[in-house]
Amino acid sequence: MSARDVLLQIAQVVTVLGLAPLIQGIIVQFEERAQRAQGPGIFQPYRDLWKLFHKQIVIPQTASWLFWITPVVAFTCMLTVPILIPVLTDFPLPLSDMGDILGGGLILTLGSFMIILAGLDTSSAYGGIGSSRAVMVSILAEPTLILVFVGITLLAKAMLPFVVNHLLVASWAAYWSPAHLFLVAAFFILLLVETDRMPIHSSTHIEVYMIEEGRILEYSGPLLALLKWASVMKQFILYTIFCNVLILPWGLSMRGTALGALGAAAALILKFTFVACLVVIVETCQSRLRFYRYQEPLAASFLLAVLAIIGTQLT
Amino acid sequence: MLIQNLSPLASSLFSLLAIASLLLSFVMLGSRWLKNYLSAFAAESWIIAALSAAVGYYGGYPELYLIAILTLLFRGLLLPYLIWRIIRRLDVAREIHEILQPASSLVIGAFFVMFALAVSYRVAAEFHLELTVAVLALTVMLSMKLIGFLMLAVRHEAISQILGLLVLENGIFLGSQILVPGMPLLIELVILFDLLIIVACFGVLVGYLLTHVGTTSTLGLKRLVG
Repeated sequence: MSARDVLLQIAQVVTVLGLAPLIQGIIVQFEERAQRAQGPGIFQPYRDLWKLFHKQIVIPQTASWLFWITPVVAFTCMLTVPILIPVLTDFPLPLSDMGDILGGGLILTLGSFMIILAGLDTSSAYGGIGSSRAVMVSILAEPTLILVFVGITLLAKAMLPFVVNHLLVASWAAYWSPAHLFLVAAFFILLLVETDRMPIHSSTHIEVYMIEEGRILEYSGPLLALLKWASVMKQFILYTIFCNVLILPWGLSMRGTALGALGAAAALILKFTFVACLVVIVETCQSRLRFYRYQEPLAASFLLAVLAIIGTQLT
Repeated sequence: MLIQNLSPLASSLFSLLAIASLLLSFVMLGSRWLKNYLSAFAAESWIIAALSAAVGYYGGYPELYLIAILTLLFRGLLLPYLIWRIIRRLDVAREIHEILQPASSLVIGAFFVMFALAVSYRVAAEFHLELTVAVLALTVMLSMKLIGFLMLAVRHEAISQILGLLVLENGIFLGSQILVPGMPLLIELVILFDLLIIVACFGVLVGYLLTHVGTTSTLGLKRLVG
């Protein structure tokens, strides 16, 4: 373990921490532009976080200790996952073998699990609705996510994301194999689900329609800022997995020089802008469905994951 | 036999086309709108026509080009046009009373594909076809047949039942193109005319349903008369 590798690992976490609000800003800005509106500018999430960190904390009387630790746990989970996945470098860094793909998935889910508990903890009506809806969706999303991970594992014969990245860069046959394409499609649907961009999510901010935001309605001030930051970081991490492991495995630093890491960060912004365009196009073209059709995109994603696993068996 | 000595490019092209047609039959299974069924069926037929032409090119069967053109004309254009005429005459745009939600039928379809894979491994081992293309062709054929049966069983709009039957037939045709490409031309012609007759019969059936039962749902046909 060299000092350079440790620094690179810290740089990965800092990249996720610093660039996550920017990606959120880019997506929101694209969305506004697609709807022919002016848009708040791509740096708005930073200003929102700044504003929230300077506000007072108001705690509901019904809240317990869970309410306090949830933002911290959620934020820490999102700080842990970037250690495990290829954000800047395509070779494993000192602590990258701490967990495999399933371990990363577990930590990501732990964050949303704590937020669901916190939504129930304050016993407010909207928190309960938000938590129950989020659980309904994640009950169906979770098995599919595991199946996608199983598919990735069977494709690369390894559970580390770095191996998948190397395999896809090395061989075009693996990149264009049906198994990989199905995995990309299945994970894209999961990406929309996990970042609240399914067709059942409403674009208007009314409590009755809320799914994920309903859980954090009771938070205020710096705690809310931590939760918002954690949610944009989760989005960033999922985009990183989607780009660097599945769809665009190029443009990572191979030797780990400072210049290479900077280039990789710039490439990340470019890739994410591309994926954000895709997401905004899908979100704009797809009409909004009623909530009780939430199972349809997830069933399609499940089906694609199963087909991907069958595809890996045939090659 | 053709599939014993295929070049890697040809075998990957065949797998891609076979999997694309399987995916299109899942589009039919997961949708509610009759128009979607119809366009997915037409696209599936075009893909199968392309597959016939590819098998003809790589296997050196010139008569398969003729079959590809006939498939394109009959399955890809004429049959969808006839069914589209029936749909236009009716007032039905979608399945109204679903026995099974599209989401659940997609999941059941996924299990069918797994079952088909298991069966085709056995069948391929029995006939010493250890190549992946053969197993894939068998899997796609069996799962398209099972999906066709599922569509016949859980849909009861008359139009979706015709399309279920046609998907079933498309599956058999696709499998035969890859596994036994040298089938005589005459049999193909007979099958195509059979399909025309099936669609015409269903047109008559739909007319009967409209005048006597009042809907196009086959759920009204419960009583046995004879």
